[in-house]
Amino acid sequence: MIHKGDEIAQDLLLKPDVCIIGSGPGGAMVAQRLARAGARVAVLEEGGFYTKDEFDMQEATAYPRLYQDRGNRASADLSIAVLQGRAVGGGTVVNWTTSYRTPDDVLAFWREREGSLLTPEILRPHFEEIERRLGIEKVDLEDTNANNRSIYQGCKKLGWQVDTVSRNVRGCLRTGYCGMGCPVDAKQTATLTYLPDAVAAGADIYADCRVRKIEWSGSRATAAIGELLHPGTQQATGRTVRVEPRVMVVSGGALNSPALLLRSGVDQGPVGKKTWLHPVVAMGAFYKERVEGFYGAPQSVASHHFSRRGEGAGFFIEAAPVHPMLASIAMPGFGAPLRGRMALLGNVAATLSLMIDGFGEGEEGGTVSLRPDGAPRLDYPFGARHYECFRAGMKAIARLHLANGAREVQSFHLDPVVIRSEADIGGVDAAPMGPNLFAAFTAHQMGGCRMGADPARSVVDPRLRHHFVQNLFVIDGSVFPTGLGVNPMESIYALASWASTHVRDALS
Amino acid sequence: MQRRPLLKKTLGGAALLAAAGAVPLALRKTRLREPPAGRKLLFFTPAEYSIWAAMADRVLAGGEGPTPAQLDVAGKVDAFLAPLPEGDRKDLKQLLALFENALFGLLLGGPPRPFTKMTAGEQDRHLRSWQSSRLAIRRTGFQAMKRLTCAIYFASPETYASVGYGGPPYELVKSILGARK
Repeated sequence: MIHKGDEIAQDLLLKPDVCIIGSGPGGAMVAQRLARAGARVAVLEEGGFYTKDEFDMQEATAYPRLYQDRGNRASADLSIAVLQGRAVGGGTVVNWTTSYRTPDDVLAFWREREGSLLTPEILRPHFEEIERRLGIEKVDLEDTNANNRSIYQGCKKLGWQVDTVSRNVRGCLRTGYCGMGCPVDAKQTATLTYLPDAVAAGADIYADCRVRKIEWSGSRATAAIGELLHPGTQQATGRTVRVEPRVMVVSGGALNSPALLLRSGVDQGPVGKKTWLHPVVAMGAFYKERVEGFYGAPQSVASHHFSRRGEGAGFFIEAAPVHPMLASIAMPGFGAPLRGRMALLGNVAATLSLMIDGFGEGEEGGTVSLRPDGAPRLDYPFGARHYECFRAGMKAIARLHLANGAREVQSFHLDPVVIRSEADIGGVDAAPMGPNLFAAFTAHQMGGCRMGADPARSVVDPRLRHHFVQNLFVIDGSVFPTGLGVNPMESIYALASWASTHVRDALS
Repeated sequence: MQRRPLLKKTLGGAALLAAAGAVPLALRKTRLREPPAGRKLLFFTPAEYSIWAAMADRVLAGGEGPTPAQLDVAGKVDAFLAPLPEGDRKDLKQLLALFENALFGLLLGGPPRPFTKMTAGEQDRHLRSWQSSRLAIRRTGFQAMKRLTCAIYFASPETYASVGYGGPPYELVKSILGARK
């Protein structure tokens, strides 16, 4: 059963077999697998429970309701805007549906460097089941919108690798509102798949339930302590929650999972360290004809031509939807220049370069620590490796759009670099780079509770069990030792499906 | 996650603000602007509301569509900020005080007036100086104010036409859902 915070009139004391904190792809999968195996499962989710009738396709409604910090999450210096889901179903409710298996060479890197057990063969049956369950299929080119097709055509003209992506949808109308909650239940979110499965098998899901800390003693986690929230205001109702399970699973996602461990004093090892973001820089390509990037599947094409670049960090190229609020936050400047760019929004193709972080020697990534109120604080300093990659990504985006006939391409620097021909591209190298001197984002948060064989380098062991607290597992994107180089949702599902066996073993 | 270190991290901004407050120039009063009838402020003081409204006028100047005042952007920002935790509230209020402060502005090359009493041209120069400042505190502050102002304005359906956006395809969704039933 799914319980909402404001429907619970008394303090809760629960004693399930398994308590899962977080209901995104990691938590939802573990809940389904464990509940079907006969375990008594309680899932605690800080976000609210929403269904398609409540998704009104308005940014003003969706971002405060469905995203962390009411859509305002950012790194501590505000230099990186953080898009991260917050709802029953977690990021699966708001992501743009792009689905990839974990690349083989990434799994090999994890095995060689961190002692990971994961191989393509081990994960294959999990991926196959997930792809069937979520309807993950490759998009036909004719089903892409002009925003995505511009990437496809530009890359093809330059001879670069490019392809359509796979999406987890059934009966998609391609309205373009995946990021605001699918209004027709076409997107196969965890809320429509693995979580109902878990409920049907007897699991209880508590929405609007914020976990403050995990109590532990010796090598055992003893209780999750939290409070219930009003879904609308996200303020405490005054009702408390105490869950005393046999096994605790933390699935709050990168940023929230390490913060929970830090709040709980479970801070052995590099908790919060090596947080990876696939940091994003964007470019806007202005076309003579209408692009209407508001509508159509938001992401349906990607280029991985530059994913493996040798010395410099790799990057991959994808599209972003062009809804007014999101676009206005990214667009540089203010006053007439900003309004002039916004007035042309219907003619803009928005293209992203996502840096593949975590593979450079000595690369530290970001750090999650705690603010005075216990909320997560993210610091992610940029260095020369980032700036080189960002510039390379911007230049690649400019070139593909020029090849595709864009009138001009603009960067999102404070003083935008305006590119009308190849001769202008050098302007990207001259533009100043630094925090808040250009727009940067992340929609893929990973790491912070990395898995590995060495307790000095990792938080959980290769089976995702905490190195020191023996009945505690972390199962979400926070265990990835590096960025993935692809959109992470499907990898988190598969990892959780595989790890559920180890949670089950811990129960027995 | 954000906001907490806004004033404290790089400059010792709170100390700067306290020092500035000791000088009469810093005490020049804000030009007040009345919220629309029926709008009860939940987060801002009347002065803070007026600072945000003046800033929104310039951030969103030069375009078609309703004015920020017609949409009461500052009032909507006030409602959005109301649930902020105490630490964040304090930081944001300090940021607004610094932004408005005449002495702080003067020290950084601006006119000897609070932001709300500057001419439109002076206000634009003030915003530009914050946007591209060498001081991280001002760049961060500018981004915080600009992003929230733009988010509130451009998420309002009344502004869709000004950016060539037809709005969500409600009819299509309704008809498909109806057919599925």
